[in-house]
Amino acid sequence: MKEITYRQALNEAFDEEMTRDEKVFIFGEDVAIYGGAYGVTAGLLEKYGEKRVIDTPISENAIVGTALGAALTGMRPVAEIMYIDFIGLCMDQLNNQVAKIRYMFGGKCKVPLTIRTEGGAGRTLGAHHSQSLEAWLIHIPGIKVVMPSTPYDAKGLLKSSIRDDNPIVFIEHKMLYNTKGPVPEEEYTIPIGVADVKKEGKDVTIFTYSRMTLFSLQAAEELEKEGISVEVVDLRTLLPMDIETMVNSVKKTNKVVIVEEDCKTGGTGAEIGMKVIENAFDYLDAPIIRVAGADVPMPKSKVLEQLAIPDVKRIKEGVKEVLK
Amino acid sequence: MIKEIIMPKLGETMEEGYLVSWKKEEGEKVEKGEVLFEVMSDKTNFEVESPYSGYLRKKLFQPSDEAIPVTTVIGYITDKLDEPLPEKKENVEKEKAKEEEKEEVEIKKEKKEEEIIKEEGEKIKITPVAKRIAQERGIDISNIRGTGPGGRIEKRDIEKYIESSKDIEKKYEVIKWSPIRKIIAKRLTESKKEIPHYYFQGKFIMDQVALIKEMKKKQGNDFSYTDFLLFFAGKAIEKYPLIDASIENDEIRVYKSIDIGLAVAVEEGLVVPVIRNICQKTIEEISEERKTITKKAKEGTLAEDDLKGARFVISNLGMYGVENFQPIINPPGVAIMGVGKIEKGIIVIDDKIEVRKIMSVSFSFDHRIIDGSYAGSFYNYFKEIVENPSILIL
Repeated sequence: MKEITYRQALNEAFDEEMTRDEKVFIFGEDVAIYGGAYGVTAGLLEKYGEKRVIDTPISENAIVGTALGAALTGMRPVAEIMYIDFIGLCMDQLNNQVAKIRYMFGGKCKVPLTIRTEGGAGRTLGAHHSQSLEAWLIHIPGIKVVMPSTPYDAKGLLKSSIRDDNPIVFIEHKMLYNTKGPVPEEEYTIPIGVADVKKEGKDVTIFTYSRMTLFSLQAAEELEKEGISVEVVDLRTLLPMDIETMVNSVKKTNKVVIVEEDCKTGGTGAEIGMKVIENAFDYLDAPIIRVAGADVPMPKSKVLEQLAIPDVKRIKEGVKEVLK
Repeated sequence: MIKEIIMPKLGETMEEGYLVSWKKEEGEKVEKGEVLFEVMSDKTNFEVESPYSGYLRKKLFQPSDEAIPVTTVIGYITDKLDEPLPEKKENVEKEKAKEEEKEEVEIKKEKKEEEIIKEEGEKIKITPVAKRIAQERGIDISNIRGTGPGGRIEKRDIEKYIESSKDIEKKYEVIKWSPIRKIIAKRLTESKKEIPHYYFQGKFIMDQVALIKEMKKKQGNDFSYTDFLLFFAGKAIEKYPLIDASIENDEIRVYKSIDIGLAVAVEEGLVVPVIRNICQKTIEEISEERKTITKKAKEGTLAEDDLKGARFVISNLGMYGVENFQPIINPPGVAIMGVGKIEKGIIVIDDKIEVRKIMSVSFSFDHRIIDGSYAGSFYNYFKEIVENPSILIL
């Protein structure tokens, strides 16, 4: 199996899906000539032409609205919102139109729309370019929210998202684009709504997603040397959540730590925790612990930025806390 | 109008009762004086009559092995079938208020055992998974020490407990406490804990009694040795009344009538019906009464009055060949007699070896109010009249 970056994996997914289905097209700021702010769509303009890889004006509202129109007429657009921090600008289109139109028209139309975006801290980009706003999105019935952590998952899930007949918000992480991982030569897809046990363990379960999966795996590896066996469950899809995999893991370990980069208050971890309580309360052997982002605007300072999000040390502390 | 049906207080010492059965169904008409439900307390069952006429509207309790404190509302009777019933919550609160009131009155009294257990039960911290496992396995979590934060019981604590009790578990079967056993256990434990017991052992020569017994038998009266002992005990107590005293509410009570309890084994345990005013009764009357209450006890039909107020008790195990045993005093009484077997034995009388019918007897006394010399005098007199009944008429 080849080793490629997360960025390359996404690029491969585009390449394969655009070859497979000519209705697939890319639509967003700097996606064509520049190849995407983080280079994900590089080379696609040259290969598929300017009718299928389209640069747009700086208007998130227009991007999502136009992409929705295209999806309703039978195309499979992949719109890009360069930073999730800008999602507020298209929230009306996303929340009131994209998510609800199929429902409000009695299922008469399909919305095969993928909105790619990217979030998270780590590059000292400050409060306007470093947020984790997935909790806003999982509150919207009618869309699916996907957040892959590895090149393998990124490729398989993007392909499934493009093929899905319902709107999907696909959230990448800016610190993952250069991470490498094995990706098969042959074609594959990964079903949406299925979590992945990235590492098996028996003492504690960490529920996490996106970049925090990598931190959690590193923490688990270090804890293993101290005799603590940690299971790391990468949720991969936040909406809908894979309750079955979650419950099975809780049944095994009875102890749960949630690791999330977003702000703790009203965060995704709160939802994960409640899902555990609703579905596996009788299997819990300790209160659930959240290792989460601080409830602050993301600081520009490198030092403060690192303090504002979980790191390996804090994850280890969280695990030890739940084992106390 | 809505009327409350309460768990009645059927004896001075009764603190709680067990609901054995309802005799009416919900919605059924009930007349004042009709038997409404059956309660078990102090080792026997009582049929409780309805204090009101109306409809039995609601049963708040179902028959079970759980003790219900006296005065607890157990149901409602209403005049009409469609009257709205009070919310159960209100009732509970009312009960709470009542209980608090009661507690205030009895503030010096120690907390009831059950209340303490209940309080501890509420305090036990346990994780959901540990609780689930405990419930599935029927493990009493009050036996487990939690090692989690703040003493919280965790899964590992349950697992450790299961592991440690595995071997034992296979070797025994658990028998449920029956209500009567609970009562016996509670009362006798209290007695043995509270009362400074001391014991006498002795022998009564029964030849004279045996002669009278034979004689009476020929006359058509079949008396048992117990009948004679009841009779003579009455006479002895008449002279030494402290033996049939009681300690109730911190008072030493010496009753005007001499009432003697007789321990009777029944299927489920033991009951102590009482023969009253024993000194006013002939041995024929005592024997008749003894036969009646023994029969009733075996049939489980003893009435409340038959059981009330046992103080001095005679417990006979002679028929089992037991030579001697030290009985536990039956509170609120202060003395008890244990009767062993009667057999022929060799005894020296006036420097001559004689073969006589000898009965082993033992006594337990409460040293708080009966000292050894008093008990000794009682024993001596009791022995004297049993061995020489003619003393009583001369």
